[in-house]
Amino acid sequence: MKKERKRREDATVYMLRKEAGIPTRILFYAVLIGFTVLTLYPLVWLVINSFKTTAEFYMNPLGFPRRFYLDNYPLAWRLGNFGILAVNSVIYTVVSTVAIIFLAQAAGFAFAKIKCRATPILYGAFILGLLLTVQSLIVPLFLMSFSTGLYNTRLGVIIPYVALGLPIPIYLCTEYIKGIPDSLVESARMDGAGYLRILINVIMPMTKPVAATAAILTVLAVWNEFVLVFILTGHDSLRSLPVGIFRFSGELASDYGKQFAALVVGMIPIVLFYLVFRNQITRGVAAGAIKG
Amino acid sequence: MKQIKNARGRKKERRVVYKAEEKRAYLFLTMPAVIVYWAVVAFPVVFAVGMSLSDYSGGSILGGSASFVGFRHYLRMFNDEFFWISLKNNIYIVLISVFGQIPLGFIFAYALYRKLVVARDFFQTMIYMPVVISPIVIGILWAFIMSPYGLITEIMQRISPGWENTILINPTNAVLAVLFVILWMYTGTYLLIFLANLQKIDPYLLEAAKIDGANEKQILGRIILPSLSGVIVTTIILAIFGSLQSFTLIFAMTRGAPARRTSVLALYMYDTAFRPPIDYPMANAVSIVLVIMSLILIVLTKAVEKRFGGREE
Repeated sequence: MKKERKRREDATVYMLRKEAGIPTRILFYAVLIGFTVLTLYPLVWLVINSFKTTAEFYMNPLGFPRRFYLDNYPLAWRLGNFGILAVNSVIYTVVSTVAIIFLAQAAGFAFAKIKCRATPILYGAFILGLLLTVQSLIVPLFLMSFSTGLYNTRLGVIIPYVALGLPIPIYLCTEYIKGIPDSLVESARMDGAGYLRILINVIMPMTKPVAATAAILTVLAVWNEFVLVFILTGHDSLRSLPVGIFRFSGELASDYGKQFAALVVGMIPIVLFYLVFRNQITRGVAAGAIKG
Repeated sequence: MKQIKNARGRKKERRVVYKAEEKRAYLFLTMPAVIVYWAVVAFPVVFAVGMSLSDYSGGSILGGSASFVGFRHYLRMFNDEFFWISLKNNIYIVLISVFGQIPLGFIFAYALYRKLVVARDFFQTMIYMPVVISPIVIGILWAFIMSPYGLITEIMQRISPGWENTILINPTNAVLAVLFVILWMYTGTYLLIFLANLQKIDPYLLEAAKIDGANEKQILGRIILPSLSGVIVTTIILAIFGSLQSFTLIFAMTRGAPARRTSVLALYMYDTAFRPPIDYPMANAVSIVLVIMSLILIVLTKAVEKRFGGREE
């Protein structure tokens, strides 16, 4: 059925393509190529210049380096404390993602498969959170974190990450679990399995695809998050890469070589992650973004 | 007879036990997520309302010595020119989204969907790429590119020697530079949304139109655009949300400079709270204004959903 649909779609598009005139197509190419060059050039320029000394950058900001100067990277890494920042980034990302996905599957299971009058309110609140602007809460969160003693602790960063990361995974998991037949849950109940067991043995294996998509989106969001960790911590030993890169840009603003190396360090991991998982990211963004 | 009654009773009993277990399981499964979420999202809102109406000025927050002062901080905020400058910039961001990102995103998506170009996967990947990179990196990178020592100066001075770079210095149009970077960074999001929705249009519909002799323009105008009307409205609402959320990119790129002319509401709130003179109550008032704007938008989104018959995906 799907194949048939795909085949006919291809046939239709082929017919249309034959009709689209050459000028139309040149126009589309021009716009697309123009924008792609605009996207890629600054990034490529950045990478090239990270291999120049600052002196060479002043003399030759456009071309290739005459000699690839690699020392910017170890120097920037050490000066910027990037070792500990990278470790923190990994800790925040892994812990938050695992917690979010587990909580989202558990709550999604309950919202989708156990009837309860509270569901519209509880689930609805998460749906509301899909669009609530996190930025509007940073000041009250900062004051609260101070008064609860969570300021400057890892836990004080992870709790808001988990909470603010929940809406999209909960939405994705709940809608997905709704599609799992009730009879599967019921027959497991007949066999005497408890809900926690059903969650682990039935629901979790079946929701793997959606959990993977949700996890990938969560990793992207947490890895790039800046303002919360910037506000809720006051020391490098607790901060993540984006904060380190931001601070680095203020302290060594005129040392361009190291500056560019620092930016590349901040950019490369996430670009690789994107290139590996881009199909899931594409699907996840389209499904999650449009929700209101 | 008695036996049947007993059996019924047992069944009822079992159902009660079953129900109770169900309830316990429901609480057990949902509460961790719900408690964390409400503690971090709902509680601060209540807290911010309270603080924005008080004269708190440092010290212990709970059980402190703050007293109720009414809407004084809101009035001060509405009389602050920087509030209005920031709001205006938020509106500019919405406009650049509506008249820049959304049409461009649609054009790109259309070209990819109708297979008017080759290497579609490549184009899609590249155009979306800036969205996944940390806005901190993007902001600093563009600040470099636009700085007097940066790429643009270099290129412009080759074209016209003596050209002076005031892109990020001139208070009246520094915001244009920020808007350009926002356009550059987030167009990919709209591309993905439009592409996903174009792919949901029934291909048989297009085929039927073809057989009836419709040309490209008619197909676009009579089938594709009408079936995307809900999506277009949704993207506009998303653009407004995006504008309210914009903070990190601008923080990294200009920090609101020059003279706070590139500030946005979230940055205005940040500055009110963390730049001397520190003013927590007014910062919380700004926070509440942002929350109220979001809630109005959410209500609007629901209305749009109803109007366009269910959710557009």
